[in-house]
Amino acid sequence: MRHGDAWMRLPDLLEDRDDASLLAHVRVCADCQRQLFLLGRLDRLLRDDATANAASRRRRRLLRGPLAAAATLAAAAAILLALMLPQHGRSEAFVLRTASGQSVAQALMGHADARNASLALTARGLPIDHGHMFVLWASDDSSSMQVGRFMVDQTGGCRVRFNLPADHPWNHFWVTRLGKAAAVAAST
Amino acid sequence: MTIQPESGRPVGSVLPGASDVELLRAVASGSEQAFAELRQRYGRAVQRVCRSVAGAEREDCEQEVFARIWRKAALYDPARGSAAAWLLTLARRTALNLGAARSPPLPIEDPPAVGERPAELDAFWLQAGLARLPERERTVIELAYYEDLSETAIARRLRVPLGSVKSWKRRGLNRLATLLGEEAP
Repeated sequence: MRHGDAWMRLPDLLEDRDDASLLAHVRVCADCQRQLFLLGRLDRLLRDDATANAASRRRRRLLRGPLAAAATLAAAAAILLALMLPQHGRSEAFVLRTASGQSVAQALMGHADARNASLALTARGLPIDHGHMFVLWASDDSSSMQVGRFMVDQTGGCRVRFNLPADHPWNHFWVTRLGKAAAVAAST
Repeated sequence: MTIQPESGRPVGSVLPGASDVELLRAVASGSEQAFAELRQRYGRAVQRVCRSVAGAEREDCEQEVFARIWRKAALYDPARGSAAAWLLTLARRTALNLGAARSPPLPIEDPPAVGERPAELDAFWLQAGLARLPERERTVIELAYYEDLSETAIARRLRVPLGSVKSWKRRGLNRLATLLGEEAP
């Protein structure tokens, strides 16, 4: 694949439109890797802003007219509930280690909103001998899911944030190489 | 909603390639063209800050923010932070001063104080970045992210071929990502 074609199609990788020839080019092209990293950051900015925007629109709609009093009551009830149930807002940290036991990443789970939990992943020294792209997975006792892909720098480090459905008690995380779900680079 | 095939940047934008820092420097030396471009770029972002902080004083707030930018652009020092951070600080403080006229005014010239609220700065920069895209690319990205529409639904809504939607979205995202790399707040 020519560099220009690959560059134009890099945003497709944000939507799981995996294309073997595109990925093969990205693997050997530093410019495309950097652009993909920026696209990933941009994608998160847009999603976060859209979420915040939607929440603010909902709030404005709610606070209009006769619903204002009800919304105020609901907000007060939510605050009370949050005070009575502080465990919902707490953070939980998980350390991810390589097979040799070396600690290479930390996943910090926290509260994002009513539907989502936030996960801040900080990696240091993930092995980059087979590429800079990785996939983060999560599971609870009954199910597992792909949380998202991320890219590390030359030192195998990165800081990245994801959202997960809040209705699962996620308690196990692992990182695989992109396109190789069986190649576990680190896990809790 | 329909979109014109050749629609692009608004008429009057004469410095679309200039960075925010270059624009502020030009504004400081009295360039009205640079000021128009800066206003086109950051108008929506400032509007959002004013709406959230100043409420009923929103329109006065927007006018006042840009009047202050015109007067104070020379005070911006790139060594102390990004242009977006400086503009956000100025906008927020202007809005706070207008929204709470009874309180003692906050000094506008203070160094950027947005470090503790990176999400707000990101959102502020993002609105300005979106404003720099050609209209069709911006529209497609906004429908995809802010209204959560699929590419097929966007094509239907805009009455354009699906291929055009895919291509505008790819181009817009690549353009924004490049801007992000050059001018990250």
